[in-house]
Formats: sequence, structure tokens, C-alpha cells
Amino acid sequence: MSYKLLLPNKYKKAGWMILIPSLVIGILKIIMDFEPVWLNGKVLSIFPSGFNRQRYFNIVSVNLTNTIIGVFFILGALLVGFTKEKNEDEFIAGIRLSSLLWAVFVNYALLLVAFIFIYDTAFLDVMMYNMFTVLLIFIVRFNYVLYKNSKAIPDEK
Amino acid sequence: MSCIKIQKPYRMKNNIRVERAIKNITQEDLAKKVKVSRQTINAMEANKYVPSTVLALKIARVFNKSVEDVFVLEKSD
Repeated sequence: MSYKLLLPNKYKKAGWMILIPSLVIGILKIIMDFEPVWLNGKVLSIFPSGFNRQRYFNIVSVNLTNTIIGVFFILGALLVGFTKEKNEDEFIAGIRLSSLLWAVFVNYALLLVAFIFIYDTAFLDVMMYNMFTVLLIFIVRFNYVLYKNSKAIPDEK
Repeated sequence: MSCIKIQKPYRMKNNIRVERAIKNITQEDLAKKVKVSRQTINAMEANKYVPSTVLALKIARVFNKSVEDVFVLEKSD
């Protein structure tokens, strides 16, 4: 098993330090729906928006709350999910792969249910959450299995 | 195209715990010798994990045994 696609373990801590705050702020954003004015800014938009018909590669004025939360969440989640464990080996690599598969299954099962039962603008919310759920489910499941295996060290002799 | 048909499901058992006791080394010691985590040794002893061929060879070497002395193929019920 090759671990070339994984970053060194030292980045894991940084990953958690980015992921947890952005997850908390993201959830608060969903509940309270704040968009602080100081996060208004002009940014480069490379694709025309459907609502106000801009051109390609245009400078637009937007609120950056979602952008910042999303960027930090993805960076943090990638760091947490794809850095080596301290003692990365074939067993842990197996858990990692099965967790990824598991996460994809669960994610698309949830999306399927949402597709069938959620319509109109509510579905936009589903699409928004769905951008993050694969990584989130993967991280939760991977760490849960790791935790369970580190606990289950019985009658050591 | 050749195809191996396995009639009955097999499972692998191992004597790692016994061999460890004979050699008087801990899971941690063995883990360090073959460069894996202690969880891996533990999972193998609990028959929850089937190691790669490389790892099986390494473990057998630690115990100065052949792989088949340590790892046994068994028909499962």
C-alpha cells in the first residue's frame, strides 16, 4: 500500500484547528444566518451569474461570509482527512479506504432521499450541505473506527 | 482465462498471541519490530484483520517460523 497521496502527520493538528472553528461558525451561520457588513467585498467572478447577467471574468460585489467559511472548511477537512496517522500502516490504510467508501455510500443514500422528498428552494439547501457531507461523514467514520480499535486492546500479555 | 473457485468461505487464523507468549514480547514490541501500529497487531490477534503478505512474512520472520506455522487457513462454518 502506498501512502504517497497522504500529507505528513504534522499537518493534522493544523487541520483540526481550521476545521473545527469553520464547522462551528458554519453551523451558526445556518442557524442565525448572519452576513457581517465588514465581509462585503469585491471579488473576481469567472462565471456569469444567472440572476444579474454578468460577463465572464467580472469583478462583483458580494458578501464573503459563505466563501470564507466554505474555503476554510474544505481546507481543514482535507488536511484532517488526508494526513497520515502517527503510526500509519496497512491496517489504518484499510480503515481509511473503507471509511471513504462508506462515506460515499451514506452521502448518496442521503442525497437520494433528499432528491425524492425535497423540492424547490429547499433543495438548494440540500445541495449546499451536500458539498461538505462526504468529507464530514468520512472524517467522523474514520476517526470513530480508529478510536474503537485503540480502545479494544484487551488482555495484553 | 483461469478462475479460482472457492467452494466454501475460508478464514485465516493465526498463532501470533501464542508465539508472542513464547518469545515473551508485548504487542507493542512486535508492532515496533514489524513497523506497524499496535492496533494492527491487536486486530490480527482478534482475527479482525488479515495482514498483507509482506506483513505476514515479516511477522513469521520475527518468530523464526515459516508463514504457515503462524498463519493458518481454515474453513469457516
